[in-house]
Amino acid sequence: MAWPDKIVSLLKANNICSISFIPDAVIGRILKVAEKDPYFHLTTLAREEEGIGIITGEYLGGRFGVLMMQSAGLGNCVNALASLAIPYQIPFLILISQRGELGEFNACHVVMGKALRSILEALGIQHHTLDREDELEPIIDGAIKTAYTSEQPVAVILSTALVGWKDEK
Amino acid sequence: MINRLKATRHLVGRLSGEPVIASCGNPKFDLFTAAEKRKANFYMWNSMGMASSIGLGLAMARPDRKVIVLDGDGAILMNLNSLATEASKAPANLIHIVWDNGQYQITGGQPTHTSGKAKIEAIARGAGFKKALTVKTMTAFKEAVSRVLSQPGPWILVAETDSSDAPGRPPKSPVLIKNRFMEALRGD
Repeated sequence: MAWPDKIVSLLKANNICSISFIPDAVIGRILKVAEKDPYFHLTTLAREEEGIGIITGEYLGGRFGVLMMQSAGLGNCVNALASLAIPYQIPFLILISQRGELGEFNACHVVMGKALRSILEALGIQHHTLDREDELEPIIDGAIKTAYTSEQPVAVILSTALVGWKDEK
Repeated sequence: MINRLKATRHLVGRLSGEPVIASCGNPKFDLFTAAEKRKANFYMWNSMGMASSIGLGLAMARPDRKVIVLDGDGAILMNLNSLATEASKAPANLIHIVWDNGQYQITGGQPTHTSGKAKIEAIARGAGFKKALTVKTMTAFKEAVSRVLSQPGPWILVAETDSSDAPGRPPKSPVLIKNRFMEALRGD
């Protein structure tokens, strides 16, 4: 099973049926698998921040969700995480496709890429980096379980070491 | 001009167990003042702009319930993109009410863009809403409430209101607010 299929099967195994996303090439590979399965409700966001609100609303209504976005998107989410998801204790998975790390061609992705983990830490959001396929199951499955137990969002960062980097054409 | 507290009282008087999401600032003060004992009220203490998105998520997760959002003009101006997402997902059970007094009332009445050229109903229609109304009197508001509660949406209802204050203050514990709201939705 390729890594996008493994991620999708672990979401389903943990009752995550709602996917809110801003796509990129990496997230797109996961979406391609998920959209074939009617179990999943996919919501295209216009801005990452609204995903925090949508996932909160879905959770209040009894549905578990995942937010998928690129590292740049975390910058758009900070206040909604700090003043909604964290204090109201909303458990969900944040799946972040990292830019600005290995092989980055675009200087304008480097700063958010470097700031990513510090922002998550400043917010007190537990995060794990997935850079090897053999660690995919314990990290994704474990992150979701900890999110549920702690009633908090937990982030998994998909490293370019796992998913490859974007080349400027 | 519509008095926001009176309008809120009228609205909740027409509801049974429908969940209501109240934006930070005055919408939540009005809602608490109007219906303190009502459990299906979700009070936001910050995350300005997120009321519409929370309402959309809840409406999608619970298609069996009408979901009411009480938003403000300043708040929706901060999350205009959510109108495009609401209109695209288009849950028929979503009723998005925007109290529009053209000002950031809670911080001292500084004008918002709706006091000038911005029109929320027109923005919502441009975002893809087919059902959008603006009302300026209590009579028109009452008629609009009957319509939005009886006909499928998603609806945007902009009510031009005055800027009088409501005295009530909801509980300050986010977890208490969440748990009470979720219990009400589950029917515990």
